[in-house]
Amino acid sequence: MNKKLIIMFVLFLAAGFNQQVIAGELQSLRGSVDTDKNSKAPELKKYSKDGEPIARDYVQQPPLIPHKIKGYRVNKNANKCLSCHSWKNYRESGATKISQTHFEDREKHVLANISARRYFCTQCHVPQVVSPPLVKNNFKPVAAITGE
Amino acid sequence: MKLTRRAFIKSNAIAATAAAAGITIPGIKEAMAKSKDIIRWDKAPCRFCGTGCSVLVGTKQGRIVATQGDPKSPVNRGLNCIKGYFLSKIMYGEDRLTTPLLRMTNGKYDKEGDFTPVSWEKAFDVMEEKFKAALKHDIAANKGKKPEEIVSTVGMFGSGQWTVWEGYAASKLYKAGFRSNNIDPNARHCMASAVGAFIRGFGSDEPMGCYDDLEHADVFVLWGSNMAEMHPILWTRLTDTRLNKKDCEVHVLSTFEHRCFDLGDNNMVFTPQTDLAILNYIANYIIQNKAYDKSFTDKHVNFTKTPTDIGYGLRPEHSLQQKAKNPNKGKLSNISFDEYAKSVEPYTLEYTAELSGVPEENLLRLAKVYADPKKKVTSFWTMGFNQHTRGVWANGLVYNIHLLMGKISEPGNSPFSLTGQPSACGTAREVGTFSHRLPADYVVSKKPHRDLAEKIWNLPEGTLNGKNGYHAVLQNRMLKDGKLNAYWVQCNNNVQAAANINEEVLPGYRNPANFIVVSDPYPTVTATAADLILPTAMWTEKEGAYGNAERRTQFWRQQVNAPGESKSDLWQIVEFSKRFKVEDVWPADIIAKKPEMKGKTLYEILFTNGQVDQFPKTTIRDNEGNIYANDEMDDFGFYLQKGLFEEYRRFQYEGPKKGHELAAFDVYHKNRGLRWPVIKGKETLWRYREGHDPYVKTGEKFNFYGNKNGRANIITAPYEPAAESPDEEYDLWLSTGRVLEHWHSGTMTRRVPELYKAFPDAVIYMHPDDAKERGLSRGLAAKIVSRRGEMSARIETRGRNRVPRGLIFVPWFDASRLINKVTLDATDPLSKETDYKKCAVKVIKA
Amino acid sequence: MNEKKSNCNDKFICRIWQLLKKPSVKYSLGALLVVGFISGILFWGAFNTAMEMTNTEKFCISCHEMEDTVYQEYKETIHYSNRTGVRATCPDCHVPKEWHHKVVRKIQATNELWHKALGSIDTLEKFEAKRLTLAKNVWRAMETTDSRECRNCHNFEFMDFAEQGRRAVKAHSEGLTSGSTCIDCHKGIAHKLPDMREVDSSAVVGDK
Repeated sequence: MNKKLIIMFVLFLAAGFNQQVIAGELQSLRGSVDTDKNSKAPELKKYSKDGEPIARDYVQQPPLIPHKIKGYRVNKNANKCLSCHSWKNYRESGATKISQTHFEDREKHVLANISARRYFCTQCHVPQVVSPPLVKNNFKPVAAITGE
Repeated sequence: MKLTRRAFIKSNAIAATAAAAGITIPGIKEAMAKSKDIIRWDKAPCRFCGTGCSVLVGTKQGRIVATQGDPKSPVNRGLNCIKGYFLSKIMYGEDRLTTPLLRMTNGKYDKEGDFTPVSWEKAFDVMEEKFKAALKHDIAANKGKKPEEIVSTVGMFGSGQWTVWEGYAASKLYKAGFRSNNIDPNARHCMASAVGAFIRGFGSDEPMGCYDDLEHADVFVLWGSNMAEMHPILWTRLTDTRLNKKDCEVHVLSTFEHRCFDLGDNNMVFTPQTDLAILNYIANYIIQNKAYDKSFTDKHVNFTKTPTDIGYGLRPEHSLQQKAKNPNKGKLSNISFDEYAKSVEPYTLEYTAELSGVPEENLLRLAKVYADPKKKVTSFWTMGFNQHTRGVWANGLVYNIHLLMGKISEPGNSPFSLTGQPSACGTAREVGTFSHRLPADYVVSKKPHRDLAEKIWNLPEGTLNGKNGYHAVLQNRMLKDGKLNAYWVQCNNNVQAAANINEEVLPGYRNPANFIVVSDPYPTVTATAADLILPTAMWTEKEGAYGNAERRTQFWRQQVNAPGESKSDLWQIVEFSKRFKVEDVWPADIIAKKPEMKGKTLYEILFTNGQVDQFPKTTIRDNEGNIYANDEMDDFGFYLQKGLFEEYRRFQYEGPKKGHELAAFDVYHKNRGLRWPVIKGKETLWRYREGHDPYVKTGEKFNFYGNKNGRANIITAPYEPAAESPDEEYDLWLSTGRVLEHWHSGTMTRRVPELYKAFPDAVIYMHPDDAKERGLSRGLAAKIVSRRGEMSARIETRGRNRVPRGLIFVPWFDASRLINKVTLDATDPLSKETDYKKCAVKVIKA
Repeated sequence: MNEKKSNCNDKFICRIWQLLKKPSVKYSLGALLVVGFISGILFWGAFNTAMEMTNTEKFCISCHEMEDTVYQEYKETIHYSNRTGVRATCPDCHVPKEWHHKVVRKIQATNELWHKALGSIDTLEKFEAKRLTLAKNVWRAMETTDSRECRNCHNFEFMDFAEQGRRAVKAHSEGLTSGSTCIDCHKGIAHKLPDMREVDSSAVVGDK
C-alpha cells in the first residue's frame, strides 16, 4: 500500500510540474526506431560457451543450460544431452544429474530410465546468450521479499 | 522460528509438492502454517498457448514468487514448457504501464501530441467524446434502416486472450449497446479457417475429440503444425506414446524441416500450397482402393462441393480479386459419391508427387495409414492449414479423409484442430466475439438468433444489428479509409501481428479522422501507435476463465493486485458503459418499444439488469481458507464475473442449438476444468459418438447433430495456387511463425530475461546454398524485400529449422524485426484469415 | 583356384602367357627399360590423378546416396562452416593422408562401388536401415587408428586448454591420460547419429 501511495505521489508530482514527463520517453521494445522505419539487424548474440550452473529464483524453475548446445541433436535415435546428463553418465562426465522428477510417467509410475515425456530436453531447458536483459525485470524471489 | 534459506526452500518444496499431490505430510503443514515464510499456491491456466496447461501460482506478500506445473491437471500433469515455467516473471517487466497516457499538446488532446499521464476520468472523458461523436453520426446514418442494413463507425479489436467474461462483456457492449458488429478478435488471424470448416462440415464449432486421443492413436499426422515448439506439452504426450507404443508412427508434413522431424517416421517437405493436392490424393487413394467405410458414409455423410476460383480476400480493386470468377463464394451444393470420386481423380500419386515435391514412396506410406481400417489416426494441424488462402478448404479436406474412413469421434481416431491462444476457443469462439457471431454458435445475420439474444439480454426488439461487421483485416482497411473512426484495441498487438503493416495497418492508426484506444500492460508497437493507452491488469491480477483447444473451460482467482492504476479489460469495458445513455446509442423508435429504458445508462441496461448483478459481493476463499481479492467486485459492488458467466450460460440452454452446455460458475473454481458439453455434471470427451456424447441416442452410433440431418459434410475442393508465388525478381517463399521460447509478439516473453536470452532476436532461416548464392552466410545481415516492405535481420543457416532451397522462415515475435511489413494481407475469402505462410520475397545483402 | 587357372586350359590365354614369358629378342634391354620407365611414370601419374580425383568432396557427393543424406547433415555442422572458414571436407576425415593407408582405403572403397551397383542404400529408407552398420564401420575404423584422421587437425599436444571451455578441459585432460580416442566422445558431430540403443541405452528412450 505504501508503495502504491509513493507511486501515485510521484505521478502526481510528475503531472503537476511537468506534464510531458513521458513525452518522447514512451518506447516499445523497438527502442527509438519508429515503427514504420527499418531498424538495423543486431549482431547474432553468442551463447555462453561453458559456465558454472546458473542460480535459480525458485526451486520449481528448470535449470538453464550454462553451455552452448549448437549441433547437439535430440531425436528418436539418440539424445546428445543424455550422453552426459543421464543417470548412467553424469558422474563420468561431471554433468548435472537429471532430476528424479524425470523418472515418472503420466500415470506416476516410477521408471528405470527417463520418461519419454521428458525426452526432448529443450522444451524446458534452454541455453543463454551473453547479453544484458532487453528490459529489466523486477521479479523478486521469496528471499528478497522476506528479507532473508 | 527462523529457517535457514536452504531449509526454508526445501520445506517449501516438500509442502508444495505434497499440497499439489493432495497429501498431508504430518508435521509439515503445521510447521509451515506457523512460518511467516509460507507460500500460497493456487491453480491458474497458463497465460500462453491454446494447450491450456494448468499451473500453480506461488504468491507471497502480494507478489508472485514462483510458478510450477500443476500435478493435478489432466492436460499437463505437472509439466510446463520453458515459457510456462517463467510465468512468474511476466508481470514484472520494468516498463509496466501504470497510468492512462493520452497524446497531448499544451494540456489538450492532440493526435500529434506526446503521451502524457492522465487520470482515468480524463481518459474516459476524451474517449467518451470521440465515441459519442461517431455514434451520433451512426444514428443519423441509420435512420429508417432495417437491422440488416445498419452501419457503424465504432469498432473494437479484441482477443483470444481475453477472459470469457471480458469477451462476453465487450461483445455485449458493442453489439447490444453500440449496435455495432465491428468487433472482432485477433483469433481471426489464427482460428477463423478452423471455425469456418467446423461450421460447414459439422454445423458446430470446435473439435469432436480431445487430448486423450494423444494416448489412444496408433498414428499421428502433423499437417502444418510444429507441435514440438508451439504446443510443447501436447508434444510430450505425443512423444510418450510414440516412444512407448509398439508400431506407433509419426508422419510430419511441413514446408520446412522443424523440431517435429526429430521424432518423425515419415517426414515430408512439400512445396507451399500443395497440401491441398496431397489431401485430395489421399482421398483418391482411399477411393481407388475401395478402402472407404461405405456403411459409415451411407449413414452419416453428405457429399458436397464448394465454389472454386474464389479470389484471395484482397481489396476488391486488386487485380487478383478482379480476376476471380466467384469471389468470396462458399455456398455448398450436394453431389453424389461418384461425382465426389471423380473430383479427386486427377490427384494421382505421380501428379501429386510432381506438384508437391514429396517423393512417391512417402506419399504412399501416408495414404496407406489413413486407408488402413485397423490403424487409429489422429491428424493435428494449426497455422499451416488455418493461415492459408484456402484455409477453410484445407481444414475440410482433412475431415473428408477422416469421414471417408469413419475415423472420427472415437478415441484415437480424430481430426484435431489445435489453437494458438489460451482462450481462442473459450472466449473468441464460444462467446462469439467475431464480427458475424453471437454467443454459442449463433450469428447476427439470422433473425431468430438475434431474437434469442434480445430476449436473454432483455433488449427492445430490433436493437441488434443484423449486418456482419468489419472483420480484422477489413477493420484495418476501414481505418485507413476513414470509415471506422472510434476504435478500441484490447489484449493484443495488432500493429505487429497484422500483415502489410506499413501499407495497411499503421496508416489507419495514424489517420487524423480516427481516435485509437489501446489497452495493454506494456508499451507495445500497437500502444505507441495509439492516441490513448489504458494501463491494463493482466493474467492473475484479475479473476478469469479460459477455454482451451479440447473444449476445457478453466477458471482462476485473482492472485495479486495490478500495479499502479492498472485496471482489467473487464473493468474498463463495464466502467466505460456508464458514460452512455440509451439516447446516445439507440434511435427513438427502438427506445419507444421499452419506454422504461428511457434515460438509463448502458451500464444499467447491460450490466445492472437484474441478471449480471444478481450475485452479491462475497469473500472469495479456497478450500484451505485463503482469501483472494476481486477488484471488480469491490469496484462495482457485486460478483460481476459470476453474473456475466451465468447470463452467458443461458445462450447454451435457451436456444434451439444443443451441445454447448457449460457447468455452473462455482463448479469451475473447484476443479481443473471440464470439457463441454457438460451434461448433468459430466464432461464430454468425444462428441457425436454413441457412448461418449449424451446427445447421441442408443443405436445411432454417430449423430452429427450440429447439422439438421445429423450428417457431416464431405466438401470437395481442388488445388488452387497461392495468392503470391515466387517469380524471377521475388524469388523466395517467405513463411512466418513462432519459436518455442516466445509467445506471439513477445510482449510478455521478451520481458522475461531468461526467455529473452534463450532466443534474443528474430533471424532469417535460410538454406546454406541459397545464402551462398546471394553472397551471404550465417551471421551476416540481410534485407528481406517484398512488394510491400522490407526488414533486416541476420542469416541463420544452422539453426533449429532446416529450410529447403527456395524458402525462408522468419519468426514474428521481435518488435524490432517486424516481418509483417513484408507479408501480404491476402486472406482466405471464406474465413477472412490472413495467409502468413506464403508470399514472395527477395533477400539481399544489407 | 589360382594354381589351376595358370594350368592353361584356354588356348588364347596360354598364348599370351607364353609370349610374356619369352625374353625379348627384338628390343634392346635399354629400350625396354626406357619404355617401361615412361609407361611407369604415365601409369603412376594416372593412378595418382585418379586417386586425387576420387579424393574430393565433389567426387564423394557425385553419388546421390552421399549427397542426399550425410552431406546434407554435414552442412549443418561446424566442420562445414565455422568461425575461421577452415573446412574439413569428406576425405579429410574419411580418407587417410599417408600414402599406403590411403591406398588400402581406396581398395576397400571398391566394395562400395559394388554396393552402389547393387543399390544397397539408394533410397532414404534403405540408408536409414543401414545407418547403424555404416556408422559402426566408421567408428571401428577410427577406433583402430586412434582417430588418426581427426588428429591430422586436432592434436592433443597443441591444444591450448586456456582457450577451451570447462567441460572440454576436463574431458580432454582426462582423455590424454586415460587413452581415450576422439571418436569415443565425438560421435555424431558431422552426421546424424544412428539408433544409439546398443551404444548407450541410457541416452535413448522407448522401444524404437
